[in-house]
Amino acid sequence: MTSSYRASAGIMLAPAVTLIGVFVVIPMLLTVWLSFQDWSTQTPFSSVRFIGIDNFREIFGPTSIGRDFKGALVNTAIYTGLSVVLILPLSVLFGLLVYQRDVGGGTALRTVLFSTYMVPMIAVALVWSKLYAPTEGPINQMFSLAGVGPQPWLSSPRSALISIVFLNVWQQVGYFTVLAIAGLTQIPGSLYEAATLDGASRTEQFRFITLPLLRRTLLFSAVIAIINAVQVFEPVALITQGGPVGSTNVLTFHIRRVGIERAQGGLGSAMAVMLMLALIMVVCALFAFMNRRDSE
Amino acid sequence: MTLAWTSKIALAAGLAILPVSAWAETINISYLTHWSPETVALLEAAAKDYSKDHPDVAVTVRAVPFGDLLTTLRSQGGSSDGPTIGGIYDLWLPELARDKLVAPAPEAVASDVKQAWPAGVVSAASVGGTLYGIPNEIDVYALNYNKDLFKEAGIEAPPKTWDELREAAKKLTKKDAGQQGFGMINSWAAGVVHPFSSLLVSNGGDLVKDGKPTLNSKQAGETFQLYEELIKDGVSDPSMATADANTTGPFLDNFVSGKTGMIIMANWWESALKSGMGYKFSNIATAPIPVGPSGDKPHSISYSWMTVVNAKAGEAEQKAAWDFLAWLNSPQSGKNGASAMSDILMSMGILPSRSSDIEAHKDKLGSEFLSGYVSVLADAKPFPVVLGGQEFSESLQQTLEALQYGQASAQDAQANAQTDATSILERAAK
Repeated sequence: MTSSYRASAGIMLAPAVTLIGVFVVIPMLLTVWLSFQDWSTQTPFSSVRFIGIDNFREIFGPTSIGRDFKGALVNTAIYTGLSVVLILPLSVLFGLLVYQRDVGGGTALRTVLFSTYMVPMIAVALVWSKLYAPTEGPINQMFSLAGVGPQPWLSSPRSALISIVFLNVWQQVGYFTVLAIAGLTQIPGSLYEAATLDGASRTEQFRFITLPLLRRTLLFSAVIAIINAVQVFEPVALITQGGPVGSTNVLTFHIRRVGIERAQGGLGSAMAVMLMLALIMVVCALFAFMNRRDSE
Repeated sequence: MTLAWTSKIALAAGLAILPVSAWAETINISYLTHWSPETVALLEAAAKDYSKDHPDVAVTVRAVPFGDLLTTLRSQGGSSDGPTIGGIYDLWLPELARDKLVAPAPEAVASDVKQAWPAGVVSAASVGGTLYGIPNEIDVYALNYNKDLFKEAGIEAPPKTWDELREAAKKLTKKDAGQQGFGMINSWAAGVVHPFSSLLVSNGGDLVKDGKPTLNSKQAGETFQLYEELIKDGVSDPSMATADANTTGPFLDNFVSGKTGMIIMANWWESALKSGMGYKFSNIATAPIPVGPSGDKPHSISYSWMTVVNAKAGEAEQKAAWDFLAWLNSPQSGKNGASAMSDILMSMGILPSRSSDIEAHKDKLGSEFLSGYVSVLADAKPFPVVLGGQEFSESLQQTLEALQYGQASAQDAQANAQTDATSILERAAK
């Protein structure tokens, strides 16, 4: 009985396992293998030459390769951190606003918020590049009406990355608001009624009921927001090309430049492996933190 | 006749015409470029003209932004289904040839090119003596300035020396009005490196000599110093000169709207200036690159573009592609003895490189804007075409941008630039 059960389970799982193996596991293993090779992306795999950890030494070394990679890693971390820090609270705030059943126009607001997520990033990037335009850009024109001088936005290494973060937040916050609303619907209304009877204020209800019971949703949102942020590419490729002074040179854009444009496949793979490891570490740390809070 | 016999005769007839029908099958070739939609339309029209005499060849044109051109060539050029023809920048050729992505030109094409183009341009389209592409455009850098702003500032003539450049830039700067004297482009490798290189060669220096970087020279040091002084003087605001993936953006907007007094740029942006400025384009004039303290006379940087054929494309596609390119660049395809390619280039203000095209477009090349570029061409030095050239350019771009934004001193920038260039070129040459 058990063996026939195992056989049928194996048969049913085989298609999915094969697809995952071919399209996920093998490319990942291939990338790891290539990171230890000297390889031009324009040559067959048969031409690779094993060089041990030289690629990793190079990307953390003092030459321009190392400087650019470390800069891109830091930029990606800042971009990801800022995106998550802004998106999550905003999504909860908007979620709470939209979730109020007695507020008119809630559905319309929900639609408007989610619609930004449906706009392709390429269109968002093009529109925002014009919004940020130094002289004729609407944002600076509005600032000038308030007596504030023109801001450099994308033209300054100090503000370019943050400007790209704002663009990301604008586009993504609607999606995460929907996730927050889904989390809010899972909280029983009776808890709020009981809290109200006990004299808890709105703030106390939010702090002691809403936030703790939204924790799982927020964890899921944080993981998705981190993965989305790490994959940022279009706004950088379309608007800033990694500049000025490499201030918006994020890892996906840099890996594309090294691995494809310069055909340095081994170096590009080593960078991709480091990105993957960094992402795994951050997500694991997040889960570990949440599990500890749960056990407490 | 029975049905069986009818079938046999039909089959035999079908087999007999099979080679003919196979021969008559359309050969599809694709042309990858970074040109604007208006220019692509001109190329498509030329391809249509070609197809009149070559109904068996269909040419399709595909355009990508300049920032994506090399990546597209690298990622798609390695397969037979990739673009058959690609327009490339000469700096990319050594690596594309090394990676066998581009096909050597057939003997007939190569001998025609060697005879009809200047030797320097032919050498930029060759690697190890083998010709890989048909050259088309040549670009050179010069100083562009706004005559109205010069008049307002009381400057009578364009600066001839670096001292005059600094003085003119100071007079042209009006911070309250958001006006800068001299524009320094950033966020685009060629836009940063080529103007710097033009000033460097006008100061008697070189970027690379005999395959080795020479950014540690006295002349290079003075050029880094000039950049630092222009920033410290407050006459150049880098935030006004950012470029985007389409090589447009604030640097262009600020020049066309009269917020930048002077800028060093190549001739190809004539069409962008015309469309941005309309009738005010006549305010823009061209002058040679100012000469530095160690220079003897104005020099500048030139580079060329060419069309190459995908080495992985089928034999028939490669043959058709070379035939189309030979026609497109021949005096038979355009107007009044010019090639169709040169007509397309001239519509953008780009100088053609074929000797007969320069003759055919003599009148237009004598315009106030372009004649300034034509006059400096003779003393222009080709931008070094070496293995690792693109990485070298991008690295120097980072260093110069750090200098422009005050993140590095001229001395540090010079030292970093030389160290990085040495390591990049040595690694690429391995």
